[in-house]
Order: sequence, then structure tokens, then C-alpha cells
Amino acid sequence: MNTRMIKRLFEKRLLFGVLLAATLSAQTIDEYQLKAVFLFNFAKFVEWPAPAPGDVHDPFTICVAGDNPFGSSLDEVVRGKTVGSRPISIRFISDPQKALQCEILFVSASEGKRERSLLAALRGSSILTVGDTDDFTANGGIVQFKVVDARVRIAIDVEAAARAHLRISPKLLILADRARN
Amino acid sequence: MAKIKSHWSDARRLFVSPVLCLAVGALCRAQTPAPVDLTGASLEDLMNIQVTSVSMKEQSLSRTASSVYVITQDDIRHSGATMVPDLLRMVPGVEVARINENTWAISIRGLNNRFSGQVLVLIDGRSVYSPAFTGVYWDQQTMPLENIERIEVIRGAGGTIWGANAMNGVINIITKSANDTHGGLASVTAGSQDRAQGLLQYGGTAGTGGSYRVYGRYATNGDSPSLPGQPAVDDGHESQMGFRSDWNLSNHDKLTVEGDVLGASEAQTITTLFASQLPNSFTLNNRVLVANGNLLARWSHTFSNGSEATVQVYFDRVRRFDQGLNVQNTGDFDFHYHFQAGSRNDIVTGLGYRLTGQNFQDGYAITVGNGHRTDSLYSGFIQDEIRLSESASLTIGSKFEHNSYSGFEYEPSIQFAWSPTSAHTVWASASRAIQQPSWVYADIQWDAGSANVPGAGTAIVQISGNPELPASRVFDYELGYRTRLSEQISLDATVFYTDYNGIQTIEPETPFFTVNPAPPHLVLPYVVADFGNAKNYGVEASAHWDIAKWWRISPGFSYLQSKLGLDPGSNDSAFLASSGDSPKRQAQLRSNIKLPHHVEWDTSVYYVGSLAYGPVPAYTRLDSRFGWHIGRFVDVSITGQNLLSPRHAEFLNGVQVIPMETARAVVARIAWHF
Repeated sequence: MNTRMIKRLFEKRLLFGVLLAATLSAQTIDEYQLKAVFLFNFAKFVEWPAPAPGDVHDPFTICVAGDNPFGSSLDEVVRGKTVGSRPISIRFISDPQKALQCEILFVSASEGKRERSLLAALRGSSILTVGDTDDFTANGGIVQFKVVDARVRIAIDVEAAARAHLRISPKLLILADRARN
Repeated sequence: MAKIKSHWSDARRLFVSPVLCLAVGALCRAQTPAPVDLTGASLEDLMNIQVTSVSMKEQSLSRTASSVYVITQDDIRHSGATMVPDLLRMVPGVEVARINENTWAISIRGLNNRFSGQVLVLIDGRSVYSPAFTGVYWDQQTMPLENIERIEVIRGAGGTIWGANAMNGVINIITKSANDTHGGLASVTAGSQDRAQGLLQYGGTAGTGGSYRVYGRYATNGDSPSLPGQPAVDDGHESQMGFRSDWNLSNHDKLTVEGDVLGASEAQTITTLFASQLPNSFTLNNRVLVANGNLLARWSHTFSNGSEATVQVYFDRVRRFDQGLNVQNTGDFDFHYHFQAGSRNDIVTGLGYRLTGQNFQDGYAITVGNGHRTDSLYSGFIQDEIRLSESASLTIGSKFEHNSYSGFEYEPSIQFAWSPTSAHTVWASASRAIQQPSWVYADIQWDAGSANVPGAGTAIVQISGNPELPASRVFDYELGYRTRLSEQISLDATVFYTDYNGIQTIEPETPFFTVNPAPPHLVLPYVVADFGNAKNYGVEASAHWDIAKWWRISPGFSYLQSKLGLDPGSNDSAFLASSGDSPKRQAQLRSNIKLPHHVEWDTSVYYVGSLAYGPVPAYTRLDSRFGWHIGRFVDVSITGQNLLSPRHAEFLNGVQVIPMETARAVVARIAWHF
């Protein structure tokens, strides 16, 4: 560790604070609690093609396909929140046809080998697909969560996003890994 | 340097951000017991929060129609174990017995002995099952445990996908992608039994879309505790180097290249005859010397229709001196193709070819054929997972193999899985698998021991191979249930019935006198046959219970009833004792507690039932570990192993190797991530 840095911090009477904060920063929360927050954030950092005028007041829908790994945390995160003026609703779906009503679709790892056919069926639609299996973007998904060093990282397939006519904010892109080289 | 800087600035930001304080700190929580709300936090902050991952393995496994248990990297860290065999103790249904510091008897669901040949072991898709020895040299399966992503233990016959020798199960060791091991790692381990281990590793990016890591490690262990009048000699040391690189060649192409070299020297005490000094048997200390290397490449391509092709090629060389010098070179080619046919069929199919060249020379009392052998193994398989409805699926498939001992073999299976809700899965399976005959079973000539025959002096027991030996066969039937009772509790239970035929026996032939080699002596000849059978049944159950955010317990239990028998005409009086020895009951309880200040306290208790050979009394093993994460870069831990007794025996049938007892031990580790 850099002793000069510590000295300087101490001079600013920050050492105590930094030590405490360093202690805190290593505390952990559940992976899916955090991923739920990310899903909500995607709604803020992604632009969907303009909805049909009649749909403007329809709820913004975040869907989960397969087993729900979030417990109640996804509901808790979006409770009372809106995207623009649209309230957010959470749906758990088993039929890929119903996915067409979602803005964001989280594909649970429980879908296993079905993941690929599900994603293929959604090709051409403007759904932000999110998953956390190793091959999610390779299978045609757009956003893939990765846990590296106990932190949640995001990989985005920019071309797949473009194909889905989704505009992803540079703020999000800058922090994400590119799935495509 | 940049990393450290950003860490400190993150830390400062965290300290001043009350929102994050709510989320991340037990200390903060104590001050303000409000619910977690991170929705106002910035993306940068979200990406710096540490998470715990507990549910992934249950998620992906919940609908599998086979008895799978996954050991995660977290489980590995919490165990405090320093070697792979000790990790396997946590899996219900797996029998792990230490014969000495370098020799193990490990099996799944029975028939356990030093040469347990019914379990296939793979490291990143490379088979480490030794076709010469018909088993796994566990002392050679070393690696930095930090680099293991997970170990999948598949109990029950796995022949349809994995091929021969997966009669009782498959142990799949999967290492982390090089993408996930960027940065440096230096660790030092010191202990009373595992004297010292050192690891130095560095990983980073290579070009665009590529990552690599390289590592070097050294380990040395001391002798087991000595018994009265019998000094234990089983010290050893090993050096290993290796690398792994992973490349995203394009969005559709992934390439993995990896390899290791290992050199090891391990002492053992053995009792053996020498062909040049018959008929006296000697008990002596000698050293097993190992020089191994392997190189593997795997390329997978995803087609635009979603189907996926994988090509894997590896070369593996094992050079082992152990009562004779065995050199084995293996070249293996595998092709897998995974595709969907219609909306209901998910099909995996594959082809494989393996060329194995072997040499055996200068055995103390063993010769194998003319000392050289080259074998080809051709294989193909197809498996179709048919989606019957939203909640039910049927999987059928078979492996087809041609080996140079028993010729054509087939290994079919059928599996049914039903998940009425996402929280429950019931599954059933029936499968057939084989154990391929080996060079040893076919061509060995072994002066295995001497016996006093009244009136004839000292006679030599000589075991000869049988080139006509067919493969051992098994029919395996399983029924399983998996459930998530709540967010906190998951349960997994399997019952099985396994019917073996054609297990190797050793049949006596007519004794004869010989003058060659001198001195003239009586020979009691035995020849390898396949007249053994077994009917095993049992239960395995395991659970995970997150009692609190900071406390998880994982109980497990297994019961095994093994009924061994001989076909009519067999005269193998030793079969019941030699074919294997497994405890009837095993149970384990692991507890992982997160204490404040990043301290972990992990405790494991293992009960292992008694064994008939010896007999070995039942024993209970208690391990306890304290681990402390000091900031982000340094981890320290101290583990006590076998705390309940100063020493105990685990397995007494060493077949020539004199078994040693397992000692109470302590091991401390410090790791620095940079």
C-alpha cells in the first residue's frame, strides 16, 4: 500500500473515515437484490422505439422468464417507481409469446437449454433481453450479467441492441464490457 | 496502481453516501434499520458493491434429471481444504478414504477400493482416468484450488454422454475462465501435515477479446503419524506450472487453450516380491516419481440459427514410476453439436476418437504383456431432450463405442423430469453403462504374494490377465426429487438401485511347480475373470438452509446397501473382501457463518460408517476454519482438520501400500491479490 497516500489522508483527518468506509465496502448484499436494481436502472438508461400513442399510459413491463431468482426484491425495487409517466409492472411468464408485451425480459438461468430458442423467438422485437448464463449474449441476448470478483459486471452486445432498435445511453455503455470486439 | 487508487476513492464515496451506507453496512444498518434502497445510487456505485451468490447452482440444476451435486468456489474456500479429495467429502454418496498422504480410495455409491474403476474424472473435459491402472491417481490431480470454478459430481451411471468407466458416476472439475482471473495472486500455506504450499499467479488481457493466466505452485507434505513399531514414510513434494487462455475470436467463436506440467516425488511403504528374488517378500520404502503434462484446445462456434458446434483436442502424457515405470500418451479428439429440431427437441450429438499408447517396464514383480500397447477408442453419441409440455421433458440417448478390448459397446439412458411448479422437480432415469477392460486386466503377470504350503515350502501367488475379458455392465435406476421449500431452504433427494454384472474376479487354477525363475517353487496361479455381481441400493439427501443472511447450513446424508455375489462356477474366495469396501452410512453437516469485520467461521462435521476390511471403525471428522478478508487484497485463514481425535484410520486395504493414519492437523494460509 502507498504510505504517502495514507499519510496525506491522515493529514486531512480522513484516515478514520476511509478505514471505516473500506470496512463497509466489503460488506455484501445478495446478488439478485443488486441485479434487480440494475434491471430498474436499465429502464432509465435505454431508450425504446416510441410506443404507439395509445400505449403511452400502459405500464412499463419488466418480465422474468423461468424460475424467479429475485424473491421479492424486484417488486420492492420498482414499488412506486415510474418510467417517465408509466408505472412499472412485473410479470412472470412461462410462454415466450407473452414476452412480446415486455420492455425488459430477464431470462432466468433455470431456462437452461431453452434459453436459445426463447431468444431466437424474440429476434426482431424491441425487448431488452437480460440474462446471467455464460453464453447469454452468444445465444442472442443483449445484456449479460457477470459476477467477477464478487461484483456485478455488465456485458452488452451493441449490435444485438441496434437490431432491436434500442438506444443505449453512453453512460451505461461506458461502464459495460462489450460482448462484441 | 490505478486499481488501488480507484478503490480508495470508491471507499470515500461510499462513506459519504448515506444511501449506500444503508445497503452495504451492518454497522450502518444498526444505526438506521431502514430497508435497502439502492435505486438512487449511480451505476458506478452499483458496480462496486460486493454481492453474495448463493442461488445460482440451485437455479441451473433444479430441473436436471440426474443426481448432480455442485461444489462451488465458495464451498472450496469455506472448506479450508488443500487438496481435491478432501473437497469431495462434502458430497453425499461419495466415499473418500485416505490410505496414505498420496494414495486414496475414492468412489461413488460403493465398490470403493484403491483401484476404484467405476468413477470417471475429468478436468476441463480432459479425462484423467488411467486406463492402465483402471482408476484415478488422485495424487496427480493437483491444481490451484483457487482456480476451480466448480466441481460437478454426477452420481449414477453417466455412460450416455461420458462413455466407458462412468458406471458409478462422473466427477467434473471445471476451472475458471481466464476472463475471471485477471490480476495477480500470491498465496502461502503452512501446516502441520501439509507443510508448505506456495502459489504465484498472474492473469490479464491478451490482444482484443483474449485473457490469460499463468501460475506456478509448489507443495510439500510431511509424514503421517507413525504407528508403534512402524515409522510412517509418506512425505512428498510437487511442483506444477500451467496456463489457461480464453479468447472471444468473434461474437460467435470462443477458444480456450490450457495446459499444465507436474513433477512430483512421493514416499510410500510397500510390501512386494521381486521377480529376481523369489520367494521372499520385502517391505520397503520407495518413491513414486511423476512427470506429467497436458495441453488442451477447445473451440466453439455458435451458428446464426442458435446451434453450436464444439471441437476439442487434447494431448496428455503421464510418466509414473510406481513399482515399475508406466508411460502413457493420450491424444483425444471430440466433436459436439448441439441444436434444436422443431420447438420440442433439443439434441446433442458427438463423435470422438482417442489414441492411447502405453509402456510398462522394469516392474518389481509385475510384467504387462510385452511392455507396449496402443489402443484406439472410437465413440459417438446422440441425446434428445424432448419437451413434452411446459413442465415435463423426456431425454433419451445412447453412446456407441468401439474399444480394442471388448469391441462394440452401447450405453443408453432414458430420463424423465417433471416440474409441476418452478419449486418442485421430480425425475426418474434408467441407464446402462460399462467399465472397459484394461491393459492390466488383459495382460498382467503379477507375482502378487507368497504363501506357505505345508509340504511344498513357500509358494508364489501369481495373477494372470485375461485378454478375453468382457466389459463390466451396470443397469442403474434412479428416482429423485428436488425442491425449494422457500427462498431459504432447498432440498435434494435421490434413491437408486444398481445392478452390476461382470465385475472382475480372480479365479484359482491348478497349482504347478516351476524352476524358472530360480529357486524351484510352487506357483498358485489365478486368472482374471468376470464372475462377480452386485446389487446396490441406497439413498442420498442434501439440503441448504440459509438460516439468516449471515448463516448457512448444509446437511447431507447417504445410505448404501451393497449385496455382492459370485456367479455359479466362481471360486474367488477373496471377492467379497477385495471388490470394494464402502460405509453403509455417511452424514455431514457444514455451517458457514459470516461474522462482523469480514470474518468467516466455517465448520464441517463428517460421519463415516465402519468398513468390514480391517475392520475400520466408524469415525467422525471435524474441521473448523476462520477466514478474514483484510480489505480487498489480502485474505488470511486458519483451519483445524480432524479436530476430534489425534489420528484415525480411514482405509486399511492398501493392496501392497501400507496404510497410514490420518492426523489432526492445522493449516494456515495467507493470500494477496494484486
